[in-house]
Amino acid sequence: MKHLELTGELQESASFYAAGAMPEDERRRYERHLSEDGCDICRSEVLAFQSAIHSLALNLPEQNPAPVAKMRLMAQAELSASRSGLESRRQRRGTEWLAWLISAASTAALIAIVVVNSNLRQSVNSLTSRVAELESQMLGQRTTLALFTSPQVRVIDLAGQGTTPGAAARVFWNVREKRLLFYVSDLPPVSNDRTYQLWFVPKNGQPVSASVFNTSSDGSAMADIPVPANLGDLKATAVTTEPAGGVPQPTGSFVLLGSI
Amino acid sequence: MMNDEDRENIVLIQRMASRDTKALDAFYDRYNRLVFSLVLKIIRTREDAEDIVVDVFWQVWQQSFRYDASRGKPLAWLLTIARTRAIDGLRSIRRQPSQSPAASEPEDRQMNSLHEMPADPGVLADTRQAVRKALNELPDQQRIPLEMAYFEGMTHTEIAEVLNQPLGTMKDRIRNGMLHLKQQLKAYL
Repeated sequence: MKHLELTGELQESASFYAAGAMPEDERRRYERHLSEDGCDICRSEVLAFQSAIHSLALNLPEQNPAPVAKMRLMAQAELSASRSGLESRRQRRGTEWLAWLISAASTAALIAIVVVNSNLRQSVNSLTSRVAELESQMLGQRTTLALFTSPQVRVIDLAGQGTTPGAAARVFWNVREKRLLFYVSDLPPVSNDRTYQLWFVPKNGQPVSASVFNTSSDGSAMADIPVPANLGDLKATAVTTEPAGGVPQPTGSFVLLGSI
Repeated sequence: MMNDEDRENIVLIQRMASRDTKALDAFYDRYNRLVFSLVLKIIRTREDAEDIVVDVFWQVWQQSFRYDASRGKPLAWLLTIARTRAIDGLRSIRRQPSQSPAASEPEDRQMNSLHEMPADPGVLADTRQAVRKALNELPDQQRIPLEMAYFEGMTHTEIAEVLNQPLGTMKDRIRNGMLHLKQQLKAYL
């Protein structure tokens, strides 16, 4: 316990301790108080009393120890100092090694940063490209949307025929721009040796192949098809089943048909 | 309050902490007679006293980096080490039945007288003068118990028994003697 003020009792204990008059067990308790409690009041009083009691030593007639005592002491100290110097050099070498290690770690960290930076740059470039691609796609889709929502667009519905009565399709035909968007649903995909083929059927002349396609597993498909410039007025669009790669003129049965 | 000698001593101790043997050499030259006189007063034989003097200055050298000026002046630190080592040595000798300090005392006293000399006037001159004055003013009934504690390592209980005085009386005398010295010497020590 730290004391807050100096009392006669504390002063007495400090004086006994400093004089060396305190019994052993009491001295140990008091030393614990000084060191563990960190009592500045008692410590300060002990220091003052210790200085005072050492006056007894200062009043003694002085005597010289034999010179050999100093020689022994200095020999020990010189040896200790030389060992300390050796140890210091060892520690310095340790410090140099540590400095080298720190330098190497810094270089490694710098390389890592450069690599990470390079990777980040690549990622940024890739993302920039992807954004540009998506912007381009979005622009294309806006254009397409504008193209097929304009008043010049004609909408043609195609109905399932024969073995595919449930199938359906819709064509958005921009007459002025000569573009055609084709959506189909519920049309089962054909085998690899077969294909669906979309036909323009003009009012005059033979059907003209527009596109070959297959549907996905859910029966859907989509196509954006340019309409040939020399194609006259249409009376219908149709889809037939044909051999893979398509044919110049329809040979198979109609699966979808829509009149204009 | 620190004086020039205290400041010089602190510098020497700092140099010792950085393993400067010249600082130890200078510190030893400055205080070896004082330390030896104290140790010899306690231990009584020159050979043992010289061994302890070497041990004392060796401890100063080894613990120089631990010295904290806020915890006391260098001289008090040195004399505390010296007294503690000497009292430990005295107790060790007392535990050996074949060697009785009393038996060797006459020879030691004779040896001591051959080497006794006045204190170095250049070191602690003012302090020594103040010490003499303070001790001269101290009544024997206070001085003797203090010397028994300081030089013989006796507790207040042991001193009371030896001097055949009540313990309370002895405690009062020790405390009053210490207060007198502290008061008279606070400007010097």
